Amino acid sequence: MRAPDTTVKAAAPVIAFDKITLAFGAKTIISDLSLEIGRGEIVCVIGPSGCGKTTALRVAGGLIPPTKGTVRLLGEPMAGPRRDVAIVFQDYAKALLPWRTAAGNISLALEAAGVAQSERGDRIRDLLTKVGLAGHEDKYPTEMSGGMQQRIQIARCLAQDPAVLLMDEPFGALDAMTRQGLQDEMLAIVAETGATVFFVTHDLEEAVYLGDRVIGLLPHPGRIGIDQRIDLPRPRNQLETRETLEFLRLRRTLFDFIEKAEH
Amino acid sequence: MRLSRLGWLLASFAVAALLVWGWQLIADYKLVSPVFLPGPDRAWGALVKGFSTGDLGVKLLATVERMFWGWLIASLIGIALGAAIGTSPRLRAYLAPMLEFLRPLPASAMIPVAIAVLGLSNGMVLAVIAFGALWPVLLATIHGFSAVEPRLYEVGRALGLSRASVIWKIALPSASPDILAGMRLGLTVALILSVVCEMIAGRDGLGNWILLAARSFRAPDLYAGVILLGVLGYVTAVALAALEARLLVWRSRAR
Repeated sequence: MRAPDTTVKAAAPVIAFDKITLAFGAKTIISDLSLEIGRGEIVCVIGPSGCGKTTALRVAGGLIPPTKGTVRLLGEPMAGPRRDVAIVFQDYAKALLPWRTAAGNISLALEAAGVAQSERGDRIRDLLTKVGLAGHEDKYPTEMSGGMQQRIQIARCLAQDPAVLLMDEPFGALDAMTRQGLQDEMLAIVAETGATVFFVTHDLEEAVYLGDRVIGLLPHPGRIGIDQRIDLPRPRNQLETRETLEFLRLRRTLFDFIEKAEH
Repeated sequence: MRLSRLGWLLASFAVAALLVWGWQLIADYKLVSPVFLPGPDRAWGALVKGFSTGDLGVKLLATVERMFWGWLIASLIGIALGAAIGTSPRLRAYLAPMLEFLRPLPASAMIPVAIAVLGLSNGMVLAVIAFGALWPVLLATIHGFSAVEPRLYEVGRALGLSRASVIWKIALPSASPDILAGMRLGLTVALILSVVCEMIAGRDGLGNWILLAARSFRAPDLYAGVILLGVLGYVTAVALAALEARLLVWRSRAR
């Protein structure tokens, strides 16, 4: 979808955390975290509560500046939020504008990017189709189910044409069936756009199912405890992938990690 | 659903009719001296006469204009100031105590001050009305702007919206239910102060009409003025409610 960026070498990481430390007053949330994420990689971040996984995502999004260290995006130091880095928040009900329709909410991203009004209509329809909500443009968020609202938020993020998608437990508040549906839709969209994904979750199976890599953080202060490659074949399948021995083995590895991390 | 709404409407009309009928009975049996209490028939007669041969229409218009301009000034200042204060925690901390001191001051107490400063002019009257109607709008706007979901500000930052866009597209619509509620209260205050100013400062209008009618024992005229004020209050409230329903359509469409 996007033209490949020729100024950046293929091997250069899309996101690079370079010795990130983040402290609020005397409390250190993240300590000396270094991490590189390659182009098109889906990296899932897990960890017990208090490990700073959401904070790490907010640092990656430029919403909080790190106390020490730098975050680089495609080689450039991050100075603040960027339009090519989209954030999908967990609380879709709070992240959507209740006074705007589905189309209006997606339009907000296009307006921010300065897309001409005449072009917005078509873009919005394309995006709604992409997230499976064609024909729902005139509905208000309160008229839609949680799954539909989260799709709207994803569509709004896609409207930013992002190189990076930062997703903060995006499916955590949804029921199991809706969650699985959205997982597959997300994988399809990411495969199509080639976006790099930083996906925070507390669901270990979700992490294994979606990720190319799973990073496990240890708490107090947050630091990397495990960096697990996931070599399950793609496209993944909710039944077959989850039934493979490799999936179960990885799940077990991460489960053991979390259990140790919590004690 | 529709039927029961119609039923309620009919019932409320019946109650109103009953009250008017009771008023008529009291007047007919002279339970209160007719000098002080004319029946609805005589009040209605005075109303019709006031419009056809007198200048009641002119007075009504004067009051409406006064109320409207005072309210509009109050609303514009209230929204602008409220937006500035509501979006800045620091301004809020500095100004909140002073606002709490000024807010409960009865605006009618400001009339002598306003007369001393601005003289017996229309400008003085507008200033008093605007001062009184400002508070509900200002405080509601401050509340509305300070209660904007913080997540939405983050969304604005993540999307790279300009500061003006954030205020115009996120904060203002989010605060609009509060602002409209404040404006509705402000309108009531503006009507009250229009009448009070007309009475105290002798400006032409319904308040003055009522005062003069009372002083010369023209009770039907007095009641005609009171009825007209009631109607005015009711019509403006209904109009504003309709505007609110239109602007806040997203609130009523919740699942």
